[in-house]
Amino acid sequence: MKEFQWKKSRLFAFALLTLIVLAACSSDEESGASGEGDPEEDPDTITAWAWDPNFNIAALEIAEESYDEDIDFEIIENAQDDIVSKLNTGLSSGTMKGMPNIVLIEDQRAQSFLQSYPDAFFPIDDYINPDDFAAYKLAPTSLDDKQYGLPFDTGVTGLFFRTDYLEEAGYSMEDLTDITWEEYIEIGRDVNETTGKDMISLDPNDLGILRVMIQSAGEWYVDEDGTTVNIEGNEPLRKAFENYKAMMEADFVKANSDWSQFISAFNSGDVATVPSGNWIGASIEAEESQAGDWAVAPIPRLDMEGAVNASNQGGSSFYVLNIPGKEKAAEFLGKTFGENEEFYQELVNDVGALGTYTPASDGEAYQAGNDFFGGQSLISDFSTWVEDIPSVNYGMHTYSIEDILAAEMQNYLKGKSLDDALADAQAQAEAQLK
Amino acid sequence: MKKLLNILQYNNLFIKMFLVMVISIISVSLLITFSTIRMSNNLFMDTFSITNTKVLNQIKQQFEQFSYSVVVTSMDVENNATIKRMLTEEYVSSIDASTSFYSIKKQMEKLYSDRPNEANMIILGENERLFNMKYVNWSVSGDDLMDHRITKNTKENPNQILYQFVDGGEITNSSAMVVATKALTERSTNHIYGYLYIPIRELDLRGFYDDYTSHGNSVMLVNGSGKIISSDDEELIGQDSPDLLKLAEETEEQSLEYQEANVFGKDQLVLTSALPALDLYIVNLVDQELVIHNLVNTKEIVLISTVIVLLALVVVFIISRRVTNSISRLVKQISNMAKYDFSKPVKVNGGYEARKIANAFNYMLNELQEHVDVLMKSQRKQRKSELEALQHQINPHFLYNTLTSVKLLVKDGKNEAAFETIDALIPLLQNALGNVDETITVEQEVENIKSYVLINQTRYGDRIKVNSLISPDCLHFHLPKLVIQPFIENAFFHAFTDKKQGFIQIMIAQRNDKLVCEVIDTGDGMRIDRIESKEGKRQLFSGIGVRNVHERIQLLFGEEYGVEISSERKKGTEVKIILPLLDGDSKDNTKSKNSTKSQYLDEGNF
Repeated sequence: MKEFQWKKSRLFAFALLTLIVLAACSSDEESGASGEGDPEEDPDTITAWAWDPNFNIAALEIAEESYDEDIDFEIIENAQDDIVSKLNTGLSSGTMKGMPNIVLIEDQRAQSFLQSYPDAFFPIDDYINPDDFAAYKLAPTSLDDKQYGLPFDTGVTGLFFRTDYLEEAGYSMEDLTDITWEEYIEIGRDVNETTGKDMISLDPNDLGILRVMIQSAGEWYVDEDGTTVNIEGNEPLRKAFENYKAMMEADFVKANSDWSQFISAFNSGDVATVPSGNWIGASIEAEESQAGDWAVAPIPRLDMEGAVNASNQGGSSFYVLNIPGKEKAAEFLGKTFGENEEFYQELVNDVGALGTYTPASDGEAYQAGNDFFGGQSLISDFSTWVEDIPSVNYGMHTYSIEDILAAEMQNYLKGKSLDDALADAQAQAEAQLK
Repeated sequence: MKKLLNILQYNNLFIKMFLVMVISIISVSLLITFSTIRMSNNLFMDTFSITNTKVLNQIKQQFEQFSYSVVVTSMDVENNATIKRMLTEEYVSSIDASTSFYSIKKQMEKLYSDRPNEANMIILGENERLFNMKYVNWSVSGDDLMDHRITKNTKENPNQILYQFVDGGEITNSSAMVVATKALTERSTNHIYGYLYIPIRELDLRGFYDDYTSHGNSVMLVNGSGKIISSDDEELIGQDSPDLLKLAEETEEQSLEYQEANVFGKDQLVLTSALPALDLYIVNLVDQELVIHNLVNTKEIVLISTVIVLLALVVVFIISRRVTNSISRLVKQISNMAKYDFSKPVKVNGGYEARKIANAFNYMLNELQEHVDVLMKSQRKQRKSELEALQHQINPHFLYNTLTSVKLLVKDGKNEAAFETIDALIPLLQNALGNVDETITVEQEVENIKSYVLINQTRYGDRIKVNSLISPDCLHFHLPKLVIQPFIENAFFHAFTDKKQGFIQIMIAQRNDKLVCEVIDTGDGMRIDRIESKEGKRQLFSGIGVRNVHERIQLLFGEEYGVEISSERKKGTEVKIILPLLDGDSKDNTKSKNSTKSQYLDEGNF
């Protein structure tokens, strides 16, 4: 009997063992699933959002090439408006899901992001030396003494013009140098009359030209503090409005409704001048058939005291978002845009992008003449003008104020008195920004 | 080979049992495995088609929402007086242009901001003025668009919203898109003053269903002409697949839940949903093989069932081995028993049944043995009495002859010889008439033989001489009566028919703890078999003949004792009687020495 019990227990033990072995077999599968979805882990790919394939995207591509370390870098093209709205949606929801590591933001919008989402951006003081960059770029890209943006292009403006058209109308480079907007309009009339070409292409929804004008006089839509609306009684703005209407009335403005129409306006040879940030150079050069027909003069100034023939439009800077991979991204920016002088030479040569990294301006590429622009030392010229750009505080509300101004501009064009238009704009802006 | 056969035979039961077990275990596990896999596949396919139908409905809803928003937008645009005015007006001055651009854009922004998805919105006026809400998605120029196929198609169907596929060519900046188009017409005159385009990039269209797809579970949109205009498999986009369209139409017409078909070289589950407003079919393809492969880990199932089968086989092996082994051992013991020994009981071990059988067998064996013992006893008794009867029959002729010899001696005055003869006859008779079981000493037997020889010599003369050579240390040993006498008699009366004279030697000695008595004559010799055939011949002295002696010795002492006869023609015969060394009380001795074994064997000779 005892033996029988022993046998029984042995059998039982055997069955138990079998069960355990089988259970072990089947449980293997489940353990593999964990380990993914850890938000703290560094991603393999660094993504960047930018908007201009000819310019800032091209610059990022060159940066990637010049970067020594092996990095999985993905550049996603988005319209600037999309970037702004996506950033706003993403950052305000706080999830940061689908956000890029690096994003390009126009300087005039930067403060609104930095102030609205203070924790969303990663300070990069440890990766760059801010003193290496043009001083006027630092104010819009930093907050509370912390440097968030890596200054990219200057946005220094120039008056790009068709030498052949202007010559036909009897104007030379000298006639266009250091002129006022009033003089520019006069020239425009002549060009329009002699060549039949429009002088300028404008998008009625985008008052960029107004911003160029007022910054050349050291003013903005807001006061120095960045928040007080400064429209009514803003003399440069008043002058800019008048100039804008004068251009319209001179009837040499080719209207466009979007960026591609703007580009095609000068690529097709329909307009004689493009007063714009230097970054437009890349798009102008894209039309190779017009090589040698272009030159750049300093931007016209407002006819008033303190106005200079230098302004800024749409310069932008790179920002690192405070999400996993931020160190990698900041390191990438620091090693390329932050310190690589050779990279800047390449940037100038290949893209025509003028950075704000001052040590680079001594490089050869900066001095070289540009054949497309008749051998003009374009970069060198721009570099000189950069120094004259009056520094202004863009504040947070540039574009919302501009929407109001655009509407009032239409009213003004239709005959509303300028005083009323500006006063109404001031009132609306104050109401909206309260 | 024979050994192998033996092993096979020995393990016959085990092999049979084990084979049956193996076959049934394997077939049961195979059947269960396959039916489980099949059942789960069927179940999965059913649930899969149900969930995918729901998914398709959700996707369909998204598309319907989209098409609804397109309808609403196109109505809004068409009803928008500002847009209409701006598109029909000829611009003369920059201010006019600026104003109209501004206001049309503002109107479009208002309409566009309601749009729920990634779709773009483009309005093209008859004056080739183009307003694009998202130029990044499609930076098309007015004249390009005006000449494009989609505009021409729209022109031909001005009252319809057309969904047209534009593949990733130059005009679309290499991203394929679906463009909803509608001509903007003046109601009263049917004059087309512009076109509304709502292009949605294929990439964004994919967003409608991308979340529901996975590897092996793909969704695609097929338009009315069989072109795949959107798919999560980018390679398929833009391909013409009339087969798929036919399948989709079939499924819709017969309102099937799903169809199984071979599409793109794979067996797929085809689920469809029609979007008549967009002239599209949403087709969901489920790669059966891949999906099932993901669902059922065949490897694991096979592994588990293999492990179970192996374990079961090991258990079955051990258990059946244990059961059959005890039975086989029992069988082996029993079958060997018939060859050698019935007295040895089989070992009681192994399983319960085997032990029961062994016990029963041993019990039967005991009974049998007892029965045999009783039988043997009665047989022996019978034989003994037979022998006794024989022994008691002193041949009357012997007496008559002897007495006649004595009479003649007396008549011849040879009183001395007559006296001697009678003297010899007396112990001879005394000896013969005693108990057949009684033993006498060698010395006495020698005396008896001498008496017998004397009587015979008296009667027949002394041409046959008898010598005896007795080892002195044997004299005190006992031996059964009438053991040697029959051979002397045999030698006297049968060995010397051709030769007329010779010798008979009697030798008794102790050899290898046995008493060996030899009777050697120098007579004619004979064939051994003739000894056996002497049965019929009457014995001259007593009923005990040569053959009986051997029988009697073996009966008394066992197999190893008995009589050996060897003979050579013309040379003589040699008889060797082998007996145990018996001292005094020999009767008990002989009985106790009888082992059961010899008893059984003797029985076989009966």
